[in-house]
Amino acid sequence: MSKNKTQTKIGAPTFWEQYRRKPLGMVGLAIVSLYVFVAIFAPYLTPYTPKEILLADRIAAPAWFRSILPKFADAPSSVRISLGSQEWTVSEAVGGGLAPAESDDSPLSVIQFEPFVRDEVVSEEEIDVLEVEEYPKEPEQGVVTLSYTLPYNYSAPKTFGLTFNYWIEAPSDSKTELEFVIETPEGKRYSLWGKSASGQLANQPARIDSRDLSLKQRLGMTIFDDPAPRIFSSRGDYSLLLIARTIPGEEPTRVYISDPEFYIPGTVHGLLGADHMGADLWTQLVYGTRISLSIGLSAAAISVAVGTAVGIISGYLGGVVDEFIMRIVDVLMAIPDLPILIILGALLGKSVWNIVLLISAFAWMGTARLVRSQTLSLRERVFVEAAKASGASDAYVMIIHILPNVLPLVFAGMVLRIPSAILTEAALSFLGLGDPRVATWGRMLHNARGFGAFTTLAWWWLVPPGLAITFLSLAFVFIGNTVNEILNPRYRERS
Amino acid sequence: MGYSRYLLRRLGYALIVLFVIISFNFAIFRLMPGDATKMIIDPMFTPEAKAELRRQFGLDDPPLVQYVKYIGSLAKFDLGLSFSTRRPVINELKERLPNTMVLFLSSFVLTTMIGISVGVYTASKRGTFADSFVTGAGLFAYAVPSFWIQLLLLMLFGYYIPILPIHGTMSAPPPDGFFLQLLDRIHHLILPAGSNVVIAFGSWALYTRNTMLEALGQDYIVTARAKGLHEKTVLRHHALRSVLPPIVTLIFSALPGMVAGAVITETIFSWHGVGKYLLDAVMQQDYPAAQGAFYLIALAVVTCNLAADVVYGIVDPRIRVGEGGAK
Repeated sequence: MSKNKTQTKIGAPTFWEQYRRKPLGMVGLAIVSLYVFVAIFAPYLTPYTPKEILLADRIAAPAWFRSILPKFADAPSSVRISLGSQEWTVSEAVGGGLAPAESDDSPLSVIQFEPFVRDEVVSEEEIDVLEVEEYPKEPEQGVVTLSYTLPYNYSAPKTFGLTFNYWIEAPSDSKTELEFVIETPEGKRYSLWGKSASGQLANQPARIDSRDLSLKQRLGMTIFDDPAPRIFSSRGDYSLLLIARTIPGEEPTRVYISDPEFYIPGTVHGLLGADHMGADLWTQLVYGTRISLSIGLSAAAISVAVGTAVGIISGYLGGVVDEFIMRIVDVLMAIPDLPILIILGALLGKSVWNIVLLISAFAWMGTARLVRSQTLSLRERVFVEAAKASGASDAYVMIIHILPNVLPLVFAGMVLRIPSAILTEAALSFLGLGDPRVATWGRMLHNARGFGAFTTLAWWWLVPPGLAITFLSLAFVFIGNTVNEILNPRYRERS
Repeated sequence: MGYSRYLLRRLGYALIVLFVIISFNFAIFRLMPGDATKMIIDPMFTPEAKAELRRQFGLDDPPLVQYVKYIGSLAKFDLGLSFSTRRPVINELKERLPNTMVLFLSSFVLTTMIGISVGVYTASKRGTFADSFVTGAGLFAYAVPSFWIQLLLLMLFGYYIPILPIHGTMSAPPPDGFFLQLLDRIHHLILPAGSNVVIAFGSWALYTRNTMLEALGQDYIVTARAKGLHEKTVLRHHALRSVLPPIVTLIFSALPGMVAGAVITETIFSWHGVGKYLLDAVMQQDYPAAQGAFYLIALAVVTCNLAADVVYGIVDPRIRVGEGGAK
């Protein structure tokens, strides 16, 4: 832009001198810089990725609600404990114990029971002494209880769950029983899960979920009862107990418990709460910045580039070409753009790139008209005629003489095009036509509407994406208007 | 060039636009990935039944024949059978069109009335709080996602303070008696129409204000005042006269945008109208229904554009006298 000779005699340094004196323009620039910063450093600003789900209970409220709203005063945030071999303490050990861990953070716990040796060396004299009932000697049941103390000082959660994998190596004449129990601070015991096996058992998963009907039946509850609030009804130290009982065989019995994870989804979570899948809303908001900025900028750039090229060609060549192009522009402008974007968006498939192309395809006409009218007056100017007289080709004149002179207009137009591109993308995503693989603000609003933000009154899910869109759009409007004021004082009113 | 010649030109132009839209409408649904018939034809059907269905939907003819038939049937407002309901699309649209019209007209009339009055008022109060409020509201209307405002209003008045119905055009079952039914419908209309007003009145007010201010700064206004004319006379006979054409033009040229915006409003408030029908049809891949709804919306937009041209010619005498290079 520093090479403009005729219309605006503003070089880059002068432009900046003028720009920095406009407060609104500077505010716009600051806001956009902030968004760009957030977009670039998104992974460092968020504790999760947008794809991580089940981080908290569905539609969890922001964690800071605890300090301002009495209703949330002691709502639980997510409790997630990985119970490796180091976490357990052995609270009961008869005939066996916890095998030493391979490493300090091993997720695998091995409970090992002594074998029962049937042919113990028993001397004849002793038999005489023993009473008949005690012979032959039966194996005694071994019991190992692993316990973990969980301090819980919140109001009751809505759900909880436990997952782990387990397998048993044991001789075929042994019998093993596994049980998972939660003991409340009052000492009440809830047996949540059990499994008994004879001999070997291959690796298999255990999934305990407080919402399961089978669990409710096991606890003697009806389908409408909710185990989670009942079990975690009081505050204090809960004990998670994993009990292994075995009637040993002639070989040692080993029970392997791998990767146990105990999980109480929090009803409050993070900065902005969680969505219906338990994904972090703050993370979605931050990552949404990337999509909105890139779609806004690229759609605006593409549409303005196309509009500029078409406008210059149409205005400079004139005649039939001009007439033809302008009629196409008229027709395209007459087509209702949101309905057509909905139809084409659904047809072409939901991807970010398709959305950019579609938005650009229906947004270049305004620029084309503006640039054309500017070109019409430029091509009558002396310097253009001089260039033509000295034998310059049409392409040369258009690129070297016309283009630099429409650029100031185009540049401001492009900045002002960004907010509408951002809003259009948000509307399409909101209607469910966005790329399902990426987190966008429109998609957050789509989910909020579709998955229960209204019935749960989760305004914290609804408000942030809209605010983010509004501030970003406003910032670009400020910048665009300021640029217009400086570069194109005559067009100020039009934009 | 006379006014009638101008009108003929615009009419011809509107027909061309309509033709392009129809052709586009025809082409786009045949460029679909995959076979459109998969949606309706159950794999369990016998080959004969499949063939019969294909024939029924006219999918066996060569494209050109289909195209000619399509245009012919459009002229008769025969929009085919919906894939999902197997009912004629035109009947479904007829059911919904009155709802859309009610929502659209009430939003439109209220928005323009409120917007223009506020704009005229603030033009005379330059520099006051009302003035900066309108400037802010206009800017806001440009930057804020309209569907977000609607969602917020819906949550506020439908859920937090549940005084307004959250969806639909009327209660089910509707109350007895004409008067109660009317009240019920108005009750359902408040939120969708009201939210449209909240979203759009700012830009109307801002535009009216700016146009008024521009007119008031003109030399002939200064002259009129200098002649000692009453301020009211100056405003009515001089300023408003020149402000009217751009505002009326804007009213009519805003119509298409508002027609198109019906899709979002109707979707948010589950309004039983054409816009929601279009989105639902697109989502269910019900092509005849989507085509029909799009055709109807496009027809409305083209008609509004034509109306804008006609009215523009009436309010701006320059158009009637000659095109004066304006294109």
